[in-house]
Amino acid sequence: MTSYRLQTGGLIDRQTPVSFTFDGKRMLGFEGDSLASALLANGRQLIGRSFKYHRPRGILTAGSAEPNALMTIGRGGRTEANTRATMQELYQGLEAKSQSRWPSLEFDIGALNTLLSPFLGAGFYYKTFMWPAPLWEKLYEPFIRKAAGLGKATYEADPDTYEKCWAHCDLLIIGSGPTGIAAALTSGRSGARVILVDEHSASGGSLLSETASIGDVSASVFVQQAMDELHSLSNVQILTRTTAFGWYDGNVFGAVERVQKQVALPNVALPVERLWRIVAKKALLASGAEERPLVFGGNDIPGVMMATAMRTYLNRYGVAPGKDVAIFTTNNSGYALANDLEARGIVPVAIIDSRPDGNSAYAGKARVINGAFVSDAHGGKALSSVSIFKSGIAETIKVDALAMSGGFSPVIHLACHRGGKPIWSDEQSAFLAPNGLKGMELAGAVATTVGIAACLEDGANRAAALIEGLGFKTSPASFGTVERDIVSPAAKPVWNIPGIKGKAFVDYQNDVHREDLGIAVQEGYGHVELAKRYTTNGMATDQGKLSNVNAIGLLAQARGVSPAEVGTTTFRPFYTPVSFGALTGAYHGEHFQPVRKSPLHGWAKKNGAIFVETGLWYRSSWFTRDGETTWRESVDREVRNVRVNAGLCDVSMLGKIEICGKDAAEFLNRVYSNAFLKLPVGKARYGLMLREDGMIYDDGTTSRLSEQRFFMTTTTAYAAGVMNHLEFCAQALWPDLDVHIASSTDQWAQMAVAGPKARLILQTVVDEDISNEAFPFLGAKEVSLFGGQLHGRLLRISFSGELAFELAVPASYGESVADALMEAGRNHGIQPYGVEALSVLRIEKGHVTHNEINGTVVPADLGFGKMVSSTKGDFIGKAMVAREGLTSSERPQLVGVIPLDPNTSFRSGSHILEKNAAARLENDQGYVTSSAFSPHLRSTIGLALVKRGSERHDEEVMIWNGIRNEFTPGRLCNPVFVDPENEKLHV
Amino acid sequence: MSDFRLVSKPALSDRTPIVGKHISLEALPEGHVILVMGKPGAPAAETQPVSLSDGQPNAVRTAGPGQWLVVGDQPRTQKEIEALFTELGADIYGVDQSAGRVRILVHGTMVERVLGKGTSVDLAATSFPVGSATVTLIGHIATHMTRTDVFAFELMVLRGFAESLWDDLLEMCKEFA
Amino acid sequence: MASLVPCPHCGARPKEEFTIKGAALARPTPDAGTEAWMDYVYLRDNPRGLYEEYWHHTSGCRRWLVVTRDTATHDIEHSRDVALSQLTDIRP
Repeated sequence: MTSYRLQTGGLIDRQTPVSFTFDGKRMLGFEGDSLASALLANGRQLIGRSFKYHRPRGILTAGSAEPNALMTIGRGGRTEANTRATMQELYQGLEAKSQSRWPSLEFDIGALNTLLSPFLGAGFYYKTFMWPAPLWEKLYEPFIRKAAGLGKATYEADPDTYEKCWAHCDLLIIGSGPTGIAAALTSGRSGARVILVDEHSASGGSLLSETASIGDVSASVFVQQAMDELHSLSNVQILTRTTAFGWYDGNVFGAVERVQKQVALPNVALPVERLWRIVAKKALLASGAEERPLVFGGNDIPGVMMATAMRTYLNRYGVAPGKDVAIFTTNNSGYALANDLEARGIVPVAIIDSRPDGNSAYAGKARVINGAFVSDAHGGKALSSVSIFKSGIAETIKVDALAMSGGFSPVIHLACHRGGKPIWSDEQSAFLAPNGLKGMELAGAVATTVGIAACLEDGANRAAALIEGLGFKTSPASFGTVERDIVSPAAKPVWNIPGIKGKAFVDYQNDVHREDLGIAVQEGYGHVELAKRYTTNGMATDQGKLSNVNAIGLLAQARGVSPAEVGTTTFRPFYTPVSFGALTGAYHGEHFQPVRKSPLHGWAKKNGAIFVETGLWYRSSWFTRDGETTWRESVDREVRNVRVNAGLCDVSMLGKIEICGKDAAEFLNRVYSNAFLKLPVGKARYGLMLREDGMIYDDGTTSRLSEQRFFMTTTTAYAAGVMNHLEFCAQALWPDLDVHIASSTDQWAQMAVAGPKARLILQTVVDEDISNEAFPFLGAKEVSLFGGQLHGRLLRISFSGELAFELAVPASYGESVADALMEAGRNHGIQPYGVEALSVLRIEKGHVTHNEINGTVVPADLGFGKMVSSTKGDFIGKAMVAREGLTSSERPQLVGVIPLDPNTSFRSGSHILEKNAAARLENDQGYVTSSAFSPHLRSTIGLALVKRGSERHDEEVMIWNGIRNEFTPGRLCNPVFVDPENEKLHV
Repeated sequence: MSDFRLVSKPALSDRTPIVGKHISLEALPEGHVILVMGKPGAPAAETQPVSLSDGQPNAVRTAGPGQWLVVGDQPRTQKEIEALFTELGADIYGVDQSAGRVRILVHGTMVERVLGKGTSVDLAATSFPVGSATVTLIGHIATHMTRTDVFAFELMVLRGFAESLWDDLLEMCKEFA
Repeated sequence: MASLVPCPHCGARPKEEFTIKGAALARPTPDAGTEAWMDYVYLRDNPRGLYEEYWHHTSGCRRWLVVTRDTATHDIEHSRDVALSQLTDIRP
């Protein structure tokens, strides 16, 4: 615990101290710090406990691959678990808490798990499942539940807002290191639309951690100048704090922008996160390369850190990692760090280089031990020494910090998201992106280019080629000479380090160590996909960014094959975790789904409607009156009133479709199973639409307004589906027919006026004569209203079985017309009624809905056999409705059902049994599709689909609800309970 | 009841417009919206709708192959609409949607950013110039969208969805309003 | 997250604007016989590779398209308006 802030240097604002807390302890950092750099500057290296063994852990990286430094940030609804301290910008008042520890970070009981480690190794879960079952509930599950999972989510609602948006560009550049900046300057200057994204808070990538200079200015000044130019270009959009997390079909990239994750109290006018879907003509992946850890004993002790990360803390944040620093490296990366440390007065105590010849170009003061390895690091909560293994001779050196570099893995994740498999390169000792990517190219370190100068050049050249391919004129941007550019070409990887005594971790986040992978191979789980599941290597929030390649190398050695043969697990989005908030965007709460409001919504509301959601619509269920205490009282009153006086019901949400054209009648004739060709102008007809398999799809009424214009109504639920279906028929099946289809559902406010006094009331607003003689049942016409003030459509159709009309008026006048009808009907006892009463009325009349049209019935099942034309040449469903099984006499048929004792009741869904049959499904005769209390019959009534039902009227049956164990003796009957002779319709 | 005073209630009558420096949102008058349907690709269908319009810029908007929307601020009487339908001739059909579709104007310098939160259509003036029209999802709601000026778009939505779209747009405008 | 489907009338649009019906098969004549109809209604190929499907641009131009999609890669080979094939065959 000896890291500390240097007196000078770094890209932090030392004039602006920032106060924050870690596990309740107040600390100070500076503006420009990450939470990780601030913790290190405060001498804090122990920052969490590991997931399984609860081992002390420190900060390992300075970026998004961080497996250890996961913290819970914020409070209340803003609590966010598993925040990577390395990616979290420090802000005033930030509250961070460590995770996976109890009761405290310093003293953690779970650390005893280390003693159990022989039992917690690879395959732990699978093996535990095999143990005696009684132990599972009492012992293992509570244990695993307590141990499992990273961090804790809050139960409080998130007070912040999120949004989703789209963006379009010619070139998307992912990563703003030297490669990305060169590419952005090249393409931006051409006038192309460019988007440059970077996951960090500032653009610049590795240049922000560099001590090199470019064209006589420091790397960070170079970045500033380049970004100033890019910001001045209106065709370039720069998104910092934005992680491109996925590559999708159509060259769409998903990216999440953390708009306000760097403040304690977000501005409420802005989202805290924004999910971008970026449609790019071309993309350039400049995501760089990730440094790989080395797998030696105790490589997880706080104080052990990646070499590039240590360099970032030193150069960008002015934080020294310790006083006695050793470097263990397989390549030149460690020497760049050694030089920078020495420049800040910290000469490394040793550079342990696995290469026998080391780095001959190194001219620094540090002791270099070539052909050597760190076999073990020692210490508990902080590093104290390292053991060096060279040609069988061990040496121990006292250190308080150790940097490691096992080579580099190009960050190819995005390039593999659309199914391409990574390719192992022996030469690069790394997996490279698949070949032949469409719409994406790679440049810079992700394409194995090494060194700043080479990356600048590669970025500029590739961007120029891409942009020219899109028709823009440009030339690659050029840059001044790069000084102190330490180039780290690929070196031979070291998978198995000799002489290890302690636990050597491969996957820090999942506590997978070297031996676990050996066990996986031994036990037959050596395939990379199996080893992942067996050991959990590569799972959880970091998805194996640091561990996968090492695991593959170890598996390869254990199996005696090359890493190419082992292959990788599949790269899938998301590159880093994305919050549910961002994925949801604004679409939650009131915005979860749109609401469709009827033009009569306001009328219904002021008349006391209780609304119910049906699909997206809000429909009036019933209208409560003073003194009514249950919904049934209201519904019974509404039903009785329709049968005695008149009621007004909002049916605006029925689908309404206008069908025009010379062949409109022929078209309808083909989409309905019954005849429509000769429907006279001025008439409505009930129609059945079948599916091609012969089952009924939907029903409704279609009216002929003129020779070439029809007005169709559909059920509310199927309105959208019927419209799509009609368009399919017109465009795909019969494009030769002259037919034009338009949805007009929203154009009309439609009111059912039903009851013996319906005509009296309506006649006061309709200018034309609507007497039975002038306008008989199934009449349909356009009418003038209110003395010519308004135009509407009037249908004489009835769902209730009463004398009834449906009046459609332009939606904006709906409420006013409904008010007028209520006024006109006041002396006739008119009352509004809702869908509950509507449902009772239709069950009493034996009219079917989608309760009965359940996708398994053909017209004959519902008594509509005559509505299947035998003379038409073709209609949808014609060929299949005549199949043997659909014409069988054993089919369920529509029937009415009543309880023997009117004081008893039954529910929809109940099964029908023969009177004395045992209550078993094999005796099932059918089921109740709809039921309601009928005020008219003063009894529960139902409609049912029962085997040979139409022949079984008057048969006594048992109505059985197996779920509630209810038995109701009943009788089958005619499904039309009210006015079976249809006399009321024709008055 | 010819003495009953009929009232037309606009769908967005209880929503308050936003007037901002960078973005404004207002409901347009419920004048006329007439859907004209002809045979896709037939020349008569291309030219007929124009003669029906009130002659204002962008009064005629494409609405899919062979379909147009003729739009204006002034309501048309039933007689006028019937006369228009007759004028269309034998192969072209009109459907009055004046009450079925509601128009919302979004304008201001940030309009592309605002609408980009809802639609995947590339709204850059180079790819969606003034006069362009299309139907697209804005969030979860299908919307007919016309660019009427560099910084102005008219959104036309089914009446039943108008309040929901408005409320979504309010959210989308929030950061610029 | 996103999949863009090329509409010959509207350009590339996200799949959320579309409704998929399934295999783009020719409808048999009414008298084609039970076997042809059983095939049409119930039997589907499940190829790895190119597959023709009916897509409806429901929240767009409301046209039915025939979209040729690779079932293994999701790449869309081309799409055309089912009724206006000659006018609209496009390749993204």
